[in-house]
Order: sequence, then structure tokens, then C-alpha cells
Amino acid sequence: MADEAHLKALVLRGLAGDEAAHRAFLTEAAALLRAYFRNRLRGAREDAEDLVQETLVALHTRRDSYDPNYPLTAWMYAIARYRLIDFLRRAKHRAHADIDGIEIGEADPDYEASDARRDVATLLDQLPEKQRRAIQLVKLEEKSVREATLETGYTESDIKISIHRGLKTLMKLMGQEQPT
Amino acid sequence: MKTDHLIDALARNVEPAEKSRWGGKLAITIVAGLGIAALLVAIGLGVRPDIGAARMPVMMKAMFAAFAAAVMLPLVVQLMKPGRPLGWRIGAILVFMGICAVATIIALMGEMPERRWEAWMGGRGSAPWCVVLIPILAAPCAALFTWLMRAFAPTQLTLTGAAIGAVSGGIAAMAYAMYCPTDSVAFVATWYAVAIGVCAALGALLGSKILRW
Repeated sequence: MADEAHLKALVLRGLAGDEAAHRAFLTEAAALLRAYFRNRLRGAREDAEDLVQETLVALHTRRDSYDPNYPLTAWMYAIARYRLIDFLRRAKHRAHADIDGIEIGEADPDYEASDARRDVATLLDQLPEKQRRAIQLVKLEEKSVREATLETGYTESDIKISIHRGLKTLMKLMGQEQPT
Repeated sequence: MKTDHLIDALARNVEPAEKSRWGGKLAITIVAGLGIAALLVAIGLGVRPDIGAARMPVMMKAMFAAFAAAVMLPLVVQLMKPGRPLGWRIGAILVFMGICAVATIIALMGEMPERRWEAWMGGRGSAPWCVVLIPILAAPCAALFTWLMRAFAPTQLTLTGAAIGAVSGGIAAMAYAMYCPTDSVAFVATWYAVAIGVCAALGALLGSKILRW
């Protein structure tokens, strides 16, 4: 199972641009985060999955905020905790939200992913055109950055910056959206 | 979108992450914050007329303020990135507060009992206006710090807001020393510290709203 040294190695390789390592880290992080959020949001599996997704985007867009001098899991859970607190603050403003019964249970990362309450794909539509297209082409349609430049006429650094900004905006939207 | 798809999308075509060059950005923020505060003092309050003769006390007060800012700064730096322990950085601030209290008491002990109140309050009929003025001067600097921090990933927003406020207060106090007409040690060690504390309190109140990401 995932442990500190293993996860840290994956993140460091991901930071150096290793796609497979980055994917492996996100996958293992998702399992740990799912356990973390489900234990704290008893009975709100969809909310937990929303938070898993939010936190994954945060871990990805802010991955340069990891300081290798300190434990990787401390970094990961600090961000997870931050997203959780942010979620609970938002929930306080929602009349129907039930934030009682939050307790800490046993961590069991073997949960199956359930459906998220919100669909990240629909949030993409709210992004500025340039950011939306860059993410659409490179992240969802599996095109290379090179192919995306040919298709859009943007430069390569334009595409990369648009993706980065777009993902940050996306995370902000995930935080603002009020499920009804 | 399923979480697995999201992970695929995030990982696809991933680039090497850029190094976060926080040192240079921090230095620019501090210099700019100090510059703006100094400008506000020069325009809004006016430099004290006897600045030539009072060079020494002005320097001492500015150094005291700089020291206060320097004591708070490690906390701000540590809070930039998630999951790092705060440890001695909190301790240093508590020690600094202790030093201020001791300095105040020693300085007041040295005064004649009937003059103590005046020495503490900055002269007859005077009031420690720095408690109001320093937070105002610190606001632009705090805004710059907020902008800086939002580029990183602070996760303890209230504490980060307080730390930003305190550092900005210290930097503003450096500029305020050019105006401040009171040179007594007890006055400065108390009211500059209180002014910085007010900045920290305001930062703590605003932190969770303006630092969200």
C-alpha cells in the first residue's frame, strides 16, 4: 500500500515531468483522500467524491508548493484539510447542508469511487475560451501540445499557460459552485 | 466526470514543474511595501522637522521595527507551502513579545514615578496615535503580501493573515519612525508592538476571506 517514501518518490518524479509517476501518485492519492473525506463526511459520499476531485486538482495545480524537505503526506493532507474546511464553510451557508455527524473513523483506502455530485466537465464551459480549448485539446482529447498549437494557432507557451491558469480557475469554480 | 478520468486528464502531457522562486518575490514585496509606506509618511504625515538632530532615535526606532518584522517573517515564509511545521517560528514571536514587555518595565522603572505615565503615553496630553496610523500605513504592504501569498498555497488562512499583518505592521512602523515624535523606549516598545498586534488581528480577521484559493 502507499507509504510516505513511495508517494514522495512518485511526486518528485512527477515534478520532473514524469507523466506515469504523476498519474500513479494522483491515483494513490485519490484512494487515500477518498478514505479521508468519507471518514469525515459520514454518509455524504458524493460530497466526499467532489472533495477528492477538488483536492486532486489542487494537488496538481499547486504541486510546486511541495517542499521536499518535509513529509509528502503532511503536504497532501494539509491541502486536503484545507479543502475540507473550505467545503464546511461553504456548507454552513447552504441551508440544507448537514454537517453534523462528522467524525474521524478508520482509514480504509479500498473504497470504490462513487459518483461525484458535480460534473467537472460542465464547469469547463465556464472557463474563458482560450483556457477551455487548451484544456479540451491537450487534457481531454489526448492531443499533444504541438498538435494543439496547430489547431488553435496559439503558441506552445500560450497553450501551457492557458492550461495551468485554466486548471486554477477550474479549482476556484469547484469551490464556488453551490450544489442545489 | 469520473475521478479516474479527471486523474487521466490532469496527468496527461504533464510538464516539469517550475521552481517557485519565492526569495526574489518576497524581497520585492518587502521593498515595495516599505517604499509605499515611506511615501505615505512623507506625503500624508510629514517627516518630523528635527529629523537631522534626531537621527539616532529615528534609526533606533526603525531598527526596532525592522527587528519586529524580521522576527515575524520566518512564519510567513513557512506558511507559504502546506504541511510544514511552525515550531520555533511561533516561539521567536513569543520571545520578542517578552523582550518588549521587559524593556518597557525596565525603562519605566528608570523614570521618576510621577513621570512614568507621561513616558509611557508619549508626553503630557499625548496619545499613542501609532496604534491607528501604523495599521493604515501597513495596508498597502499587506495587500502586496496577500498577492504574493496567493501565488503559493497557504492552508492556514487565519494564521497566515495574522502573520502577513504583523510583518506589514513592522515594515510600516519602520517608515512611521520618520514621523513619530516620541522617542521614549517604554513608549516605542509598548505601542509599536501593540500597533503591530492590531495589524496581526486585522490580518487574522481578513485572512480567511482574502487568501482563499
